Amino acid sequence: MDLSLETRHEDGHTIIEVGGEIDVYTAPRLRDKITELVGEGHYNLVIDMEKVDFLDSTGLGVLVGGLKKVRAHNGSMRLICNQERLLKIFRITGLAKVFAIHGSQADALAEH
Amino acid sequence: MAPGPSGTATGVTVSIARDPALVRTVRLVAAAVARRTGRDEDFVEEVRLAVGEACALLLGDDTDPLREPVTVAISIEDGLAVDVVSVGTVDTEDPPHSDIDGVEPWALLRGLIEDFTVLQDGATTTVSMSWPAA
Repeated sequence: MDLSLETRHEDGHTIIEVGGEIDVYTAPRLRDKITELVGEGHYNLVIDMEKVDFLDSTGLGVLVGGLKKVRAHNGSMRLICNQERLLKIFRITGLAKVFAIHGSQADALAEH
Repeated sequence: MAPGPSGTATGVTVSIARDPALVRTVRLVAAAVARRTGRDEDFVEEVRLAVGEACALLLGDDTDPLREPVTVAISIEDGLAVDVVSVGTVDTEDPPHSDIDGVEPWALLRGLIEDFTVLQDGATTTVSMSWPAA
């Protein structure tokens, strides 16, 4: 399954709903989307990964790169992920401590 | 493709051009072979992730489709063994670069698999991974 990216703005945050596979082939599209949003002045991002089927270290790298970009503007990046197979990847790489990972969009948007 | 009555090794070998779009194809093949072991979907997912990861790491920045392909050999015999082979050397220690920004690129594989080696033999790099039988 290819990568799908849907963006919307809510409560001062920009939510990117990601679907499909984030891998060495598709990750640059996510990176470009984040770069575009930050370039437009959207510094508080929520990445909804509930419909992500696959994530590799290239995808992780794009997320970390995005986090650095928004932090450079005193912004934030929150992740939404309930899938154990993805959470395991964040834990293995130590990134579970780096990202704020939430169980739902409501939780992600509620935290300030 | 399943182990025969004599218990001889069986498996699949796939060579792909150095095109990131083809890594997904390798993952699908790896998952299909992993399912033949009869183990659960968590195991299949681990193999799918590991093989795709190894492939992507060996592709690295060199995605010239005219260069030598990356070869993935998957065999079933007393467990599952995978060798991912690429002409050229890769850095397995230095900080990441290009798309992998801030993530140690081999950390995922090291954390995922106990039996995992990278052999740099002259002009060839081989990532070997294996999982015991259930």
